[in-house]
Amino acid sequence: MDIVEVKQSGVSTFKLQGRLDSNTSQSFEKRLLDAISDGTKNVIIDFKELDYISSAGLRVILKATKTLKRQDGKIMLCAMQDYVKEVFEIAGFDSFLPIVPTLDDAFKAF
Amino acid sequence: MNTSGSLTFELRNHLSELATLSEKMEGVGQALGLSRKCLFEINLALDELFTNIISYGFPDQCEHFIRVNVSAERGVLTVVLEDDGIAFNPVARIPPELPCTLDECKVGGLGIHLVKNLMDEVTYERRTGANVLTLKKSIEKSETV
Repeated sequence: MDIVEVKQSGVSTFKLQGRLDSNTSQSFEKRLLDAISDGTKNVIIDFKELDYISSAGLRVILKATKTLKRQDGKIMLCAMQDYVKEVFEIAGFDSFLPIVPTLDDAFKAF
Repeated sequence: MNTSGSLTFELRNHLSELATLSEKMEGVGQALGLSRKCLFEINLALDELFTNIISYGFPDQCEHFIRVNVSAERGVLTVVLEDDGIAFNPVARIPPELPCTLDECKVGGLGIHLVKNLMDEVTYERRTGANVLTLKKSIEKSETV
C-alpha cells in the first residue's frame, strides 16, 4: 500500500492507494499516529485509490479517531468506493465517523 | 478453476499469504465473471478468517498449511477453509453490539461480524483434528462481462 501525505491550510490529508489489510495496517497506523503526536489535529483520509480494507484497517481508523478526539482534533473520511463504505456501515462505524463523497466536501468541514 | 468448477490451494500460516489468497481469488473472480463488489466481499471474508486462524490457531510456532477449496454450482460459490490448528469456532462468537458510539466502540469480534454479514451462510465443524469452515454466497455477476 502507498500512502501520500499532503499538508495544506492546517489539514493533513492521507491519500491511500492499494490494500489496507493486516499486512499494511501497521505502517499506516504508525504514519497516522506519528503525525498526530507531532501536533496534527485536522486529518482527512482520502479513500479514492483504496481498493481494499479489512477489519485491521478499521482498527487503525478507530484508534486514530479516538486519539484525535482526546486532543480536540477532527477526522474526515472521503471518496470511498461503495463496497469499502459498506464495510464501515456493517461495522457500525458510519454512526460516529463522518464519511463524505469528495475531498472537497472533507475540506469544507474544517 | 478446473473444468468441474473447483479450485484447491494451500496457504502457509503467514500474513504474507494474504497476497496469495487475493491473487487466487482474483483468478476465481475472472473465471466466474464475479462483480467487483462480490469478489471484494468474498476476499474480505476469507482474509478475516485466514488472519484469525494464523493469529490464534497455531501456538507451536511451526509451519502449518491452510487448505482452501473453492467451488461454484448453481449460482452459489462455496469456499471451504481447513486448518489443523487448535479447535476454534468463530461462528459461535457473540456479535458486537451495533451501532455503537465512538467511546463504546470495541474492535473485538469485528472481523467475524463482517464475515457473517458478507456471506449468506457460515458453518463450522471440528473434524478429526481439523477446523473446517464452509462459506456460501450467491454469485453476483459483473455487468460488463
